Amino acid sequence: MKDLKILAIISILVIITYIGIEPFAKHEMHGTVPPPDYNYLDLPKKELTGNPEQGKVLFKQNCASCHSVQADGISATMDKQTAQLSFKVVPPDLSNIASIIEPHFFAAFVKDPQSATKFPKFAMPGMSYLTDEQIGHIYSYLKSVAKPQEKLTGKDILHDACTRCHSVKYQKIKAQTDPKYLNDYLGKVPPDLSLMGKAKEEEYLATFISNPQVMLPGTSMPRLGLKQESAEKVIAYLDNIADPHKEERNKLGLWVLGYLVVLAGLTYAWKRKIWSNLH
Amino acid sequence: MKFIDWLDERLAIRQLMKVMLLEYYVPKNINFLWSFGVLIMLVLIILIVSGIFLLMYYKPDANLAFDSVNKTIMMDVEFGWLFRHVHAVGASIMFLVLFIHMGRGIYYGSFKPPRELVWLTGYFLFILMAATAFTGYLLPWGQMSYWAAQTITTLFEKIPVIGPDLVIWIRGNYIVADATLTRFFALHVVFLPLLLIFVTVVHLYAVRIVGSNNEDGIEIPKEEKKKKGIPFWPVFMSKEFFVMSVFLIFFFWLVFYKFDFAMDPINFTPANYLQTPPHIYPEWYFLAFYEVLRGFFFSQNLGLIAFVLSMLLPMFLPWIDKSPIKSGNHRPLFKIAFWIFVLDFIFLTVLGKLPPTGLYGWLGFVGSLVFFAFFIALPIISRIERKELERGGNKQ
Ligand code: HEC
Ligand code: HEC
Ligand code: HEM
Repeated sequence: MKDLKILAIISILVIITYIGIEPFAKHEMHGTVPPPDYNYLDLPKKELTGNPEQGKVLFKQNCASCHSVQADGISATMDKQTAQLSFKVVPPDLSNIASIIEPHFFAAFVKDPQSATKFPKFAMPGMSYLTDEQIGHIYSYLKSVAKPQEKLTGKDILHDACTRCHSVKYQKIKAQTDPKYLNDYLGKVPPDLSLMGKAKEEEYLATFISNPQVMLPGTSMPRLGLKQESAEKVIAYLDNIADPHKEERNKLGLWVLGYLVVLAGLTYAWKRKIWSNLH
Repeated sequence: MKFIDWLDERLAIRQLMKVMLLEYYVPKNINFLWSFGVLIMLVLIILIVSGIFLLMYYKPDANLAFDSVNKTIMMDVEFGWLFRHVHAVGASIMFLVLFIHMGRGIYYGSFKPPRELVWLTGYFLFILMAATAFTGYLLPWGQMSYWAAQTITTLFEKIPVIGPDLVIWIRGNYIVADATLTRFFALHVVFLPLLLIFVTVVHLYAVRIVGSNNEDGIEIPKEEKKKKGIPFWPVFMSKEFFVMSVFLIFFFWLVFYKFDFAMDPINFTPANYLQTPPHIYPEWYFLAFYEVLRGFFFSQNLGLIAFVLSMLLPMFLPWIDKSPIKSGNHRPLFKIAFWIFVLDFIFLTVLGKLPPTGLYGWLGFVGSLVFFAFFIALPIISRIERKELERGGNKQ
């Protein structure tokens, strides 16, 4: 009885300490993370419709100098080396981009990438001369070649949207752009993403990816306009690669704890037996 | 049977068993707080075993350390993650059980004669464990590893005359760097554990000679030990095994499902000497002492002196608290002081992690003063108790 009372006191003290140094201290240090904004409400909402054939032509005229669409056999006029020399970053392949990012973000982005991404030094020149209609054609072309969102994995999305800047070295993914150019462009080499799932909370990642400026004001990571599904898949992927043994751990844990509970039962029985012989 | 006889002739094994186990009597009026010594030994063994496994893949090199831990051990090696979680959670829990073990000693007056050496060797173990944890925390070479080591080693700079040279000597470089990592590695895996094991043996030997204290703090004369006590083996240990298995349930629950508290997220970013993280704090078990250091926010020198005092004062308890009454159960005034001290220690621990600005700075100062007030109050309480005893005759 007395032992249980002592155990209760110790438990209460330990729990108070734990709450103080973990949830409470974290809250005091980092504040609450605002919810992510995948609707990009600051950009005008638009329906993008158009004709894929016309879009393809427009794409070849306006975009293919820098971007490839491997899904449709279009390669960029500019090779990677020249591109990274001129822009300090390799322009991404756009095969699946229409399934990855929000359409109205795309529309605003093509006209004025610097303000859509909230990164004034964003390397792609704006094409404000394109009409909404033309952008609609380009979008419907890209949509027609893209794999549907459901078929894209977190890794695919990461590859199209992130790895021109970020490496993921534990997955043997090297950033497509040479780090020394990225350093010139972004003021720093973007961090490796191998352990990001452990270094940051999920809520932080969601809010950061949907709008980096909210979490790191003045940061040089651009806002990328990901759809909610895309961001969630990328985050799940990052969590997964940072903690690849989660399932195994949870399963093994049950076995170990089960074994220990049995052990505790046995040792208790033994103790009872020995102590009952005492007088 | 034959083999035992053979051994007995050469190693006096029977005699040894008698002295150490069968005819060693533990008082009856002790509670499960007296199990924590054994729990510490259990955790120490867990740490050593898991540590040896980690050592098989760990690379003590500033360029390799981070990946050897976070990739090789955590991802590639079969059950490497298990050993790392066990080791990290083990280090954390070691301090939990140590603090409880020490708190038990303070509350029941176990540091008083004739157990001064038990206390002193114990305290030395605490300092050694702190050094082991501190050197070990640098090994993963993450941001928090790096900056905690950088911050704490910088403290030595304030020591008069030799300070600046001493810091460089400890680091082996002007900043924490590869040389620091390698020497911390040497200390963490060889020197400190060896010393720990050696001092543990002395500690246990000292306990064995003077015997365990008890809840009432009244020594049992030698002749009555057998009558009033219970034999260490198997009676005491049968309870101990039960306590151990319950403890292991808690421990492995932490290892499998709640290990986050022992793995700071910031440490999953590799060390970068150009980028200081916004918040630098040590592991939770150093937070209270760290807060005493920061508590004197108006003077770094004062803070440093307070920090050293806070780490060392408890060592001198046998000479600070000389009340003839041992157990806190029979000391109403001491009881109050003790619980204020415990709550203050928790208060300081929590504050140690918070940013030391505004109100938190002042609270840290107050908390630090309360910490020291305990050690000032003890001689006074002892005086009062001594006077009362003299007046009230042999009420106790
Ligand atoms: C002069 C070269 C150039 C041209 C022409 C160009 N882009 Fe880009 N584009 C870039 C570069 C460089 C980036 C990557 C910049 C970065 O990530 O910092 C980029 C990025 C993008 C992105 C990725 C944005 C995100 O949110 O992930 C999209 C989508 C895109 N471009 C679409 C287009 C479209 C559509 C056109 C044609 C209308 C076009 N680009 C024309 C250079 C170009
Ligand atoms: C144009 C280059 C670029 C692209 C594309 C990019 N990032 Fe980043 N990212 C950066 C830079 C630069 C930083 C460093 C930000 C800083 O510290 O200010 C960064 C930082 C991060 C961080 C760490 C945030 C922190 O708090 O330290 C995460 C997580 C991240 N990026 C995820 C992503 C994901 C996921 C994608 C793809 C959806 C992506 N990034 C695409 C440049 C980029
Ligand atoms: C590696 C670290 C340590 C180990 C393995 C260890 C082990 C033990 C063991 C097995 C006992 C006997 C069982 C018990 O009373 O709990 C004991 C008793 C004791 N230890 Fe420790 N101990 C360690 C650290 C410390 C520390 C840090 C202190 C205090 C500063 C301390 C002070 C004492 C005291 C005072 C006793 C006697 C308690 C009594 O009889 O009431 N020990 N220790």
